[in-house]
Amino acid sequence: MTTAPLRPPLARRSGDRMIAGVCSGLAHHLGWPVRNVRIAMALAAVAGGAGAVFYAWLWIMVPTADEAARRNARRPASPIAPAVSGAVMPSTAGTFDGGSTAGAPPQPRTEADFSGRTLGSGGNGTLRGWSAVPYGKEILLGAGLLLVAGILIAQMMGANVPLGTIIPAAAVLGGAAIAWMQLDENRRSGLLEKAGARQQGGWVRVAAGLALVVAGVLVTVSGSGSWEQTWLALLASVAVLGGVALVLLPWGLKFWRDLETERAGRVRETERAEIAAHLHDSVLQTLALIQRRAGNEHDVVRLARAQERELRGWLYRDTAADPAQLSERIKAAAGEVEDALGNPVEVVTVGDVLVTERHDALVQASREAMFNAARHGGGTVSVYAEISAGAAEVFVRDRGPGFDPQALPADRLGVRESIIGRMKRHGGSAVITSSNEGTEVRLTLPGGTENVEAKP
Amino acid sequence: MTQQTARVVIVDDHAIFRSGLKADLGDGIDVVGEAATVEQAIAVIAQTGPDVVLLDVHLPGGMGGGGREVIAGSAALLGTTRFLALSVSDAAEDVVAVIRAGARGYVTKTISGAEITTAVFRVAGGDAVFSPRLAGFVLDAFGTAPADIADDELDRLSARELEVMRLIARGYSYKEVAKELFISIKTVETHVSAVLRKLQLSNRHELTKWAAERRLL
Repeated sequence: MTTAPLRPPLARRSGDRMIAGVCSGLAHHLGWPVRNVRIAMALAAVAGGAGAVFYAWLWIMVPTADEAARRNARRPASPIAPAVSGAVMPSTAGTFDGGSTAGAPPQPRTEADFSGRTLGSGGNGTLRGWSAVPYGKEILLGAGLLLVAGILIAQMMGANVPLGTIIPAAAVLGGAAIAWMQLDENRRSGLLEKAGARQQGGWVRVAAGLALVVAGVLVTVSGSGSWEQTWLALLASVAVLGGVALVLLPWGLKFWRDLETERAGRVRETERAEIAAHLHDSVLQTLALIQRRAGNEHDVVRLARAQERELRGWLYRDTAADPAQLSERIKAAAGEVEDALGNPVEVVTVGDVLVTERHDALVQASREAMFNAARHGGGTVSVYAEISAGAAEVFVRDRGPGFDPQALPADRLGVRESIIGRMKRHGGSAVITSSNEGTEVRLTLPGGTENVEAKP
Repeated sequence: MTQQTARVVIVDDHAIFRSGLKADLGDGIDVVGEAATVEQAIAVIAQTGPDVVLLDVHLPGGMGGGGREVIAGSAALLGTTRFLALSVSDAAEDVVAVIRAGARGYVTKTISGAEITTAVFRVAGGDAVFSPRLAGFVLDAFGTAPADIADDELDRLSARELEVMRLIARGYSYKEVAKELFISIKTVETHVSAVLRKLQLSNRHELTKWAAERRLL
């Protein structure tokens, strides 16, 4: 069953079908020729009707290709596939009442025990289990069924299997296992806590208790009369349960699918509510502010820029973008400058790197350069950051009147200390070129980018 | 810049933006048509045969392809009519998709009237218009290492093309790029057109990978 995930999911195919597409779906899933599967199914149908029942069961349980595709959007593979691929060996009916079919295949399987275990008592619970846990329970179920089949073969071969002991014990254990699977994680641990199973010797006590229960049931069963009567009663109840399950199953499946649809709808609704809340908190508030401040052009532009930046961040943000990355930090610094001074700051970045202490200096110097450009240059500030394996470079450009970098007054700490000095202390450099058409500050931080992403 | 008049069609689904843009466009630009949806745009472009179409990337109608679909629907005119993409979106997928469909350039909607007028004339003259952001996308997609051999292969930018792209990304105008590199504006335009061609035609592995990471193509 370990190969199950490699196979195409089991689904009824609408393109190539005789009745409901079960055989072609099965053949596609197993990688067998469709014709062989159809012949096998027809033979099994003639031999005691097992094929017909198996076909009907698959028809009900296996989704169509469309349904499967929709479901796979949420789950990795058809959840039923493993259980079914464990049970696809040709099966025969009629062994339960002792009448063995001529030429019975090596793995006789009773349909009654199928419906009894799978669809009857554990039906609903198992269905719910399938939606939660991918494979574990199916493997367990398959193993159990194989065990039952093995015992039945041995019985037919003439071996003296003490059925009178095994069947009640298996029923009790199976029931306990199903009940256990119904409980969710919290309740299980709670139950174990109460039974004291966490303590030393606790498991022994729980096991002993269970053994006593099994013994009690066995005594009751064997005391109630002859084995023949118990056998008949068991068969009758299984038949009744199977019948009820067959009648209720379509209704139950429909109910379950409706529930799934409703859940998906609720998820969408939640998403919509989240978007509405975000738009209300940000965009509507800003629009209200802009209306009240309509007279002040500077404020309106600043509000609009800030809102635009926030909305862009929300709409287009790379989900992989990490605030600890250099490009994000430079964009954040540009945002601060826009908020403080109202000049648009256009940031273009190429490449990226996780910020280290040295990059911190680069971000601080860039921020200072942007502030200067916005304050003295006016107008739009262009920022370009290029981060490659060799170095990180930031260019900050404005279109102001320019100044002479050589003739800086000694008290202009902003440029001298915060930009040039800071870059030098961290092994980088800052070059300022200025003309009457604008000023450009070029910050370079060589090396130290060994953690550059291969392709940001 | 050889041509000082241009017949233009504006395609945008916001009437306010269309009228604002019309008022902003400078002398010599004659707006011969407007459209708000993909179908209208294809019809108006076929009917008027403009020099330049100012095309919003996101448009209602059609099969949901927006600006790309308009370009595809006007493929017969691609030799005479040039498309300049306008967008508020700065998502790489939108920008590069419309360029690869055949647009000659891409500018953001916050561009000033004078700049868009220059851009329209430049596109009408057969050149490409790159905003700093588009230059950034190109550098990101093609990588910042120059080609080993400066031939005309599509998969890498030559050293000169890289220099031009970097300067444009830094906010330089074509004139400033020419001055900085001691070349003529015509040469800058030639380099930019070459980059545009590579962006439109290249199938190189990294571009595909880069695009896929940004959910496009």
